[in-house]
Amino acid sequence: MAKEKEFYWRRLHSLLGLIPVGLFLVFHLLVNFQATKGVEAFNEAAGLVEKMPFLLVLEWVVIYIPLMFHAFYGVYIAFTAKSNLKRFGTTRNWFFMLQRLSGIFLVIFIAWHIWQTRLQKTLADAEVNYDMMADIVSNPAMLAFYIVGIIAATFHLSNGIWSFLVSWGITQSKQSQKVATWVTMIFFVLLSVVGVMAILAFV
Amino acid sequence: MAKSKLLVVGGGLAGLMTTMKAAEMGTEVELFSLVPVKRSHSVCAQGGMNGAVNTKGEGDSPWIHFDDTVYGGDFLANQPPVKAMCEAAPGIIHLLDRMGVMFNRTPEGLLDFRRFGGTMHHRTAFAGATTGQQLLYALDEQVRKWEVEGLVTKFEGWEFLGLILDEQGVCKGIKAQDLATHEIRAFRGDAVVMATGGPGIIFGKSTNSMINTGSAASIVYQQGAKYANGEMIQIHPTAIPGDDKLRLMSESARGEGGRIWTYKDGKPWYFLEEKYPAYGNLVPRDVATREIFDVCINQKLGINGENVVYLDLSHKDPHELDIKLGGIIEIYQKFVGDDPHKVPMKIFPAVHYSMGGLYVDYDQHTTIPGCFAAGECDYSQHGGNRLGANSLLSAIYGGTVAGPNAVNYIKGLDKHVEDLPSKIYDDAVREEQAKWNEVISMDKGNENAYLLHKELGELMTNNVTVVRYNKQLQETLEKLAEFKERWNNINVNDTAKWSNQGIQFTRQLRNMLALANVITKGALLRDESRGAHYKPEFPERDDENFLKTTIAEFTPSFDPIITYEEVDCSMIKPRKRDYTGGAH
Amino acid sequence: MAEQKTITVKVKRQDSPEASTRWEEFEVPYRPNMNVISVLMKIRENPVTTSGKKTTPVAWDMNCLEEVCGACSMVINGRPRQSCSALVDQLQQPLTIEPMSTFPIIRDLQVDRSRMFDSLKKVKAWVPIDGTYDLGEGPRLPERKREWAYELSKCMTCGVCLESCPNVNSGSSFMGPAPLSQVRLFNTHPTGAMVKDERLNAIMGDGGLANCGNSQNCVQACPKGIPLTTSIASLNRAATVQMFKNFFGSDHMVD
Repeated sequence: MAKEKEFYWRRLHSLLGLIPVGLFLVFHLLVNFQATKGVEAFNEAAGLVEKMPFLLVLEWVVIYIPLMFHAFYGVYIAFTAKSNLKRFGTTRNWFFMLQRLSGIFLVIFIAWHIWQTRLQKTLADAEVNYDMMADIVSNPAMLAFYIVGIIAATFHLSNGIWSFLVSWGITQSKQSQKVATWVTMIFFVLLSVVGVMAILAFV
Repeated sequence: MAKSKLLVVGGGLAGLMTTMKAAEMGTEVELFSLVPVKRSHSVCAQGGMNGAVNTKGEGDSPWIHFDDTVYGGDFLANQPPVKAMCEAAPGIIHLLDRMGVMFNRTPEGLLDFRRFGGTMHHRTAFAGATTGQQLLYALDEQVRKWEVEGLVTKFEGWEFLGLILDEQGVCKGIKAQDLATHEIRAFRGDAVVMATGGPGIIFGKSTNSMINTGSAASIVYQQGAKYANGEMIQIHPTAIPGDDKLRLMSESARGEGGRIWTYKDGKPWYFLEEKYPAYGNLVPRDVATREIFDVCINQKLGINGENVVYLDLSHKDPHELDIKLGGIIEIYQKFVGDDPHKVPMKIFPAVHYSMGGLYVDYDQHTTIPGCFAAGECDYSQHGGNRLGANSLLSAIYGGTVAGPNAVNYIKGLDKHVEDLPSKIYDDAVREEQAKWNEVISMDKGNENAYLLHKELGELMTNNVTVVRYNKQLQETLEKLAEFKERWNNINVNDTAKWSNQGIQFTRQLRNMLALANVITKGALLRDESRGAHYKPEFPERDDENFLKTTIAEFTPSFDPIITYEEVDCSMIKPRKRDYTGGAH
Repeated sequence: MAEQKTITVKVKRQDSPEASTRWEEFEVPYRPNMNVISVLMKIRENPVTTSGKKTTPVAWDMNCLEEVCGACSMVINGRPRQSCSALVDQLQQPLTIEPMSTFPIIRDLQVDRSRMFDSLKKVKAWVPIDGTYDLGEGPRLPERKREWAYELSKCMTCGVCLESCPNVNSGSSFMGPAPLSQVRLFNTHPTGAMVKDERLNAIMGDGGLANCGNSQNCVQACPKGIPLTTSIASLNRAATVQMFKNFFGSDHMVD
């Protein structure tokens, strides 16, 4: 990596986590949520996405490239940290570690998820629809894997928003950082409910 | 011709100021310090720094500051350098302010000043109650800038082992040792400035930091430099008694309205205010110390029968206390556990500062050509007693004098050290290496260096501090001679050749013994009472016989040769020192 | 005579940077109001372990003993702190004492913190003055701003914040919270601010500001109560602005 450019890479990492990756996550979970309204509703919503023009370009520019950068640089960041939870058991230190653990887990989970639902489709020319997901989560282990994956993602995003606010210098005071913690954690709970309800709708 | 080089030993205020001044004049400086310079003992100074800036409409002036200082020092200081210091003081305060020291301000954004002992004026600039720390940091930062610019090289974690003198006895460098690797090296220098601080650790527990053994100054004294007024040891009236250290409770506590009292007949007795109505709690330190000592030791009126009295701030506004005295309030809270906002602090006098030190002329030049001294390790500014908040001033002022004078001295040399043959340097390293090997192999004896030091501290504290009797001083000298023999019987317990602190300490202990002799013999021979030196057998000041600087010269037996030198009183005629009345 | 109360203390020792580590246990006579330094002092007066084995005195750094010099940082009962202000009565026993592992170990509890001083060079932690000549008064400063800046100026480079930071370790080049907070201090001083862009650009380099992972341990650990995390967040904002200035090319870098 170019010398003395670390600052910009880090800021890019922080930005991409929110836009577009974070936004996509929210969008994705909302589409999935359609499944709670029945098979038809989900297939329609998913179909709409499928029908978008320049889908391949959009997928790469808006999702894969930013996601891969965020993921790989994030793994690098995670592995430069040395946990000291035993000495400092504060909330923020826990969140710091959870952010890194969830990030690493998400790299595995998302890789698997993309393989299972996108690449296989391209290779085997299978269709992405309700049945496909229902098939996957009919395996209880797979269902658990997905639930953990969804919660990891919603936590990583919510806490990532908190970090974003600090890293870009928006929340400076103790007070504003505290409020941001509450707001992002409420967001985490809400988004998790949406995500988990959606996945359970496939069972 | 090679570029000239100045060596500065010690990285406190005096050493850093010397370094800055020399670097500013384009001279390369090598700076040596036992600890990273930011950890020097100057950080412990609390209350502030004096300078007659006269912002309170009190008609203060450098002359009055000069008069207060000379009077406070009981006329033992040569007056020309004191006058020069007091005249430079306002400029030094503004300089430090420009460097970014966070001095407390008035509502208008100007420097604020508070009162200190021995004066009627608000003359002390302060940064909370950690002024020394703040000043040291400012100079540390400036020197770091010079380091980046390449004119200053720091050797932190190196111990000074001695000057290197040529055949004519002129100083041409120093011997020093890396404290981790124990590598001994000779450093060439056209001139050397000693800025190595005070010797408080000779008294065991004091308000001083652990590196203040006086060892470096003692080495220079042992190499032939004269040592002056060694017996003038300031005992600070207010320190917190402790197991490892007697922590200073700044005079600024009284400057901001703190009151000293104890119980007498069941009622609070403000004994300083009663006896000294004009100065009250702000009498000079030697006076306050003797009164507290008398109340506790002679009258047995210490709190709960212990040797402590109250220093009371509990009547003051808590918020104002935090802003003006935050640092010391925190220290008391952390180390004692009581809250000075609410309860009075328990304090007792403790060894604090040495007015005496290496003899220097008005250029800060010691009696060894090419070796200068500045700061607490020189004797020049405070006479028989130092006024509070004059030490930061004298340390920095000493640097502003020593630096340029050392550079000018170098300019006058016809030959630079880089052009000298390497023989004296090689010999110096060999000699020190042999001494080191000797100490490191001291593993047969049964004395523990730290316990021997403890005994030394108790001996000195009991006999050579607040009240001095000739009989006890004589006995102390005999004991010191015994200690010198016992030193040979030390077992270092550790023969590691890597970061061996015990060996360093053992070596320092010997140097402490040499200075302890100077302090004690100077006290024994001065048959009068002056400033911090008080003998009940001779309660009056005796100008006829002792308005003189004590000068000690080293002999291998450690028993110094003492001579006297007239004091320059050409500006202010000596008068009786008496704080019971009004302005003097 | 009543039996003398004692304190048990375990010290992690290491003879040299390359040597292996070992734990040694000592028993030290108790005295009221004792701090960890006086425990270590007792050990060096009689360097014998609990099991009666003669050993070397423990090596450690100390100087002022009143928490202003920053020398005596070590990890006591798992917490990095100043050992002078660590009072035995407030600590659980047996005491465990270790060196700060973030820094290279010299011997026993002594560590090499020179990287912190190097960082101060890198970030230009000083007020640039023209010289030490008498150039008159310094700039005026509102007292309330002074009170705030004073808190930042108390940093003693003790290294406790670096030790507490999960992102400062041998695998990363992060300079840690202490030097960053100094940048904030000097960038607010009227004269110091004249080169504030240079300091910001310095901390926007490798090992700088962006390495902070917001675990916020530093502010918990700082013995001087310096608002380190607020400093970092504030610098983050300044760096954001500086980043845009640098890129879009504002022609006045200092205002």
